[in-house]
Amino acid sequence: MLAVRRAAVLFAVAVVSVGCSSSSTSTSSAAATTPLTVFAASSLTKAFTQIGQDFHTADPDVTVTFDFGSSTDLASQILSEGTADVFGSASGTAMDTLQSAPGVTDRTNFATNRLVIITPPDNPAGVTSVNDLARSGVKLVLAAEGVPVGDYARQALKNAGILAQATANVVSNEDDDASVVAKVTSGDADAAIVYTSDVASAGNTVRSVPIPSAVNVIATYPIAVVGGSAYPDQAKAFLDYVVGPTGQATLATFGFGPPSG
Amino acid sequence: MRARLPVAIVALASIGAAFVLLPVVALFVRAPWSRLGEALSGVGASTALRLSIEVSLAATAISVLVGVPLAWVLARGEFPGRNLLRAVVVLPILLPPVVGGVGLLVALGRSGLVGRWLHDVFGIQLTFTTAGAVLATTFVSMPLVVLATEAGLRGLDRRYERAAAAMGGSPWYVFRRVTLPMVAPQLAAGAVLTWARALGEFGATITFAGNLAGRTQTMPLAVYEARQVDPGGAIVLSLILVVISVAVLVTLGGRLTGLR
Repeated sequence: MLAVRRAAVLFAVAVVSVGCSSSSTSTSSAAATTPLTVFAASSLTKAFTQIGQDFHTADPDVTVTFDFGSSTDLASQILSEGTADVFGSASGTAMDTLQSAPGVTDRTNFATNRLVIITPPDNPAGVTSVNDLARSGVKLVLAAEGVPVGDYARQALKNAGILAQATANVVSNEDDDASVVAKVTSGDADAAIVYTSDVASAGNTVRSVPIPSAVNVIATYPIAVVGGSAYPDQAKAFLDYVVGPTGQATLATFGFGPPSG
Repeated sequence: MRARLPVAIVALASIGAAFVLLPVVALFVRAPWSRLGEALSGVGASTALRLSIEVSLAATAISVLVGVPLAWVLARGEFPGRNLLRAVVVLPILLPPVVGGVGLLVALGRSGLVGRWLHDVFGIQLTFTTAGAVLATTFVSMPLVVLATEAGLRGLDRRYERAAAAMGGSPWYVFRRVTLPMVAPQLAAGAVLTWARALGEFGATITFAGNLAGRTQTMPLAVYEARQVDPGGAIVLSLILVVISVAVLVTLGGRLTGLR
């Protein structure tokens, strides 16, 4: 029994330490640097992680730590806790909620994204067009209402005239973009609607089916320095880096479009 | 004369108690009392609550059905690897539930080790179903009834069982009519803990079964989703769970806290 207890304790310690090491995506652990906190849409995870590393290489005095999630969720966290220096949002609406308090400065659009259908590589439900999502029995996963990509997806389905049939096929409303992709890469969902940038990130673990421009929705991503930031200068520098040529090139690599659309 | 408690201990104890109490009080203070009915219907509280009760009761039933025999094997079995088996059974208590969800996904998901076979041969897909939510919940909550029942079995006076067996009772009869009634209190306490844990399950369920109102969206999942669109509704849903938990505590009183 003692052995079991000792093993259990060891195991618990292992679990906790693994949990801790993966919980933050800090680009460096140098002590004297400025710790910049950037809240960003879940769809920006890979692109911003890369930009954060490049930014740190260019300016070793600043270490960028990210918190990725649903933009709506992040906006409400900033509203109540105000811990972010920079906010990169997947929707103008989420950014709007911060306009009066705590206020944002240097707001500018820095990227666009479009919607695409993804399926597992073997496409078990034979989805080849947006209209196939209305077919009965297709296991469709969307982000929840209120999450930008979930709202955009419903708008696209509405544009295609199949909102009612497609939402009847929804088997799960996920909390953010990354969770939607995970349900498809695991092979459990037949189809999902996500951003084109997700396909660039997911590689060959998913198969993509385009959504025609006539019904597609263009998501415009604003970025801004959050009012009350302890490091407004460094925050502005990071924002400029994202909007500048290096940041834009990285965003393009990860499947984002230029801010003009 | 009553011994006086050291001031330092009282101070630290007060911090501890306040730490637990404060969030609960805050939920009551910040609840949108003026539009309670509206908030309740807006977040689909009754659907989520009904599903939560169904899922947690089903998970508890399965946990008792296979967990009690498991406890009996652990308490009475003499075989190599028994301690290892106990460690495995207890594992879900230590694991973050989301890890349990990921494990279930690669085991029983549509492309999982066993799930692939279930799907191809029987056409069964557990992910995104209420059955999947029950499985995920059972995985996380079953250890509690196993541990409580095993403790009960170890504390039994085995002379009663031997007497029953000596008088010609079959092992099954002795288990049913002698052993089981004697561990009933521990089994019941363990089942209640299992049920309470099942009612609060979140991580394994959302990871394995997904989140759909009426099918897999239990109360904790409804709270999580409501935060995005209706923070007030999330508080109302949370309060319902607080009230249920307090009711369980009051009903069981010392029996629950006196366990061990």
